[in-house]
Amino acid sequence: MIEINNLVKHYGDKKAVNGISFTVQDDEVLGFLGPNGAGKSTTMNIITGYLSSTSGTVKVNGHDILEEPELAKKDIGYLPELPPLYLDMTVLEYLNFICDLKQVKKSERKEQLAKIIAMVKIVDVADRLIGNLSKGYKQRVGIAQALVGNPSILILDEPTVGLDPNQIIEIRKLIRTLAKDHSVIISSHILSEIQAVCDRVVIINKGKVAAIDTITDLSKRLSGTSKLLLSFKGDAKACVNAVRAVPGVSDCKIRISDNDIHEAEVTVSGSSATDIRTSIFFTMSKNNWPIMEFRSLDPTLEEIFLSITGA
Amino acid sequence: MLAVFKREFLSYFRSPVGYVAIALFSFLSGYIFINNFTTGSVNIASEVISLRSFFVVIVPIITMGLFAEDKKRGTEILYYTTPIDLFAVVMGKFLAAFALYGIMFVNVFIHMIVTKACNGIVDIGAWGSVIVFFFLAALFISIGILASAITDSQIISAIFCFIMILVIQLLSTISSLIGSTIGAFLSVLGVKAETSNAVGEAIINGINWLDPFTKTADFRYGVFSVAPLIFCISFAIVFLFLTFRILEKKRWSNG
Repeated sequence: MIEINNLVKHYGDKKAVNGISFTVQDDEVLGFLGPNGAGKSTTMNIITGYLSSTSGTVKVNGHDILEEPELAKKDIGYLPELPPLYLDMTVLEYLNFICDLKQVKKSERKEQLAKIIAMVKIVDVADRLIGNLSKGYKQRVGIAQALVGNPSILILDEPTVGLDPNQIIEIRKLIRTLAKDHSVIISSHILSEIQAVCDRVVIINKGKVAAIDTITDLSKRLSGTSKLLLSFKGDAKACVNAVRAVPGVSDCKIRISDNDIHEAEVTVSGSSATDIRTSIFFTMSKNNWPIMEFRSLDPTLEEIFLSITGA
Repeated sequence: MLAVFKREFLSYFRSPVGYVAIALFSFLSGYIFINNFTTGSVNIASEVISLRSFFVVIVPIITMGLFAEDKKRGTEILYYTTPIDLFAVVMGKFLAAFALYGIMFVNVFIHMIVTKACNGIVDIGAWGSVIVFFFLAALFISIGILASAITDSQIISAIFCFIMILVIQLLSTISSLIGSTIGAFLSVLGVKAETSNAVGEAIINGINWLDPFTKTADFRYGVFSVAPLIFCISFAIVFLFLTFRILEKKRWSNG
């Protein structure tokens, strides 16, 4: 369990983190969401003891990170934004070095490493130099590093950044497996990523907590402004008018017109209980306007902030 | 501490750094030895003393990456977020560089054996120079480590270390230059000749006091004393402690 209380961090005049408080329960996956520069990495660096806070406290399983750093750090596995890898070592040498740093007992070491290597699927590359590995493998070695020493809490800073879609899915799967017996904090600036793995989200903006919510509650709050993307062939003006006339649609406007295919953004008013897509589809088909693409638009972070802060 | 020592020491041999340093030292010591050997007058003490002038090149090579590289690659975060003590990290890296120096120095021991085998003399003065060499090495490596901790650029770290060691090696020249200049300046101002000379002398002595080379000069004649060694070790500890403070301070930095 991590208790974060009124964390403040100044960088000169700038307040990178300005009074953040939240708690992470045991075996919970907490998403840490915010735009670039919101203070995510700074907060994580403070929780792990890499930086000190200007004021405020962090307690890891009851141990203050500044007053009892050794006890607190033992319980944390950290994967920073840039995995801290020594490129001139092989994977196995590196993980053994990490065991030394985390003071893993010699007798438990072999078994623990074998388990971790199997779990993050780096068995094939265990004897290769880290510098020669692909980015996805490097990221996995980074996660393996965090798992050494059996910490009860994992802190992962943008674990899927720069990976290809297959690797992203793999890493998410891995995180879900880990979540069974670890508390996990994951930071990201991508909403769908957080939705895929987290139970609860902390959204921060400009160094402050904008919202703390469960994923389902968050979606509910966001459903008031859901948007659809509709791309079709036919008379743009007539179509827009026809869609606007569908009950439950509050607005429809053309975003892009390319040759004879138009792309429209349909804003749905939150009150309608029925799925609006059915009626839109029949309206389109009745008029012989072929639908080329039809999907819901994920709200951008900016929209989330706007809806959450009520601005 | 042992973990960091092991990693850093082995990493010297995973990159060209360790080999370059050893090759350079072997070449220089071998050159000096063969030169003396062929003229028939081997003097291990003077060989070791000549080798001291290459601290200024070799120490920056082996220390420049120790912390700078960690900062650049982001691996320093490991030392802050694991239970290991930061001072143990500093000591581990220091000992790794020191051990590399020890390996380089095997050359000189071989020269000693060859000298003995050819009925030459390895006297107490030779051993005295060897002892001084290692204490000076410890002092200069600690300076190199400090230089490495203040920047994330290996080049800047190497240049800083180079200048520091160069200044220390030229300390006796610098001191008389500064002392006599100030003395002359005072006499121009109308200060009595005795006083201005005395001030100049005091400044020279003051700066010379810092010079580890003159402090340890008697060792080559077999005259050993503890004070100069304590002097070297104290300064090494001061530099290592400063390094530790710089690393520690990073955590509290607000810029």
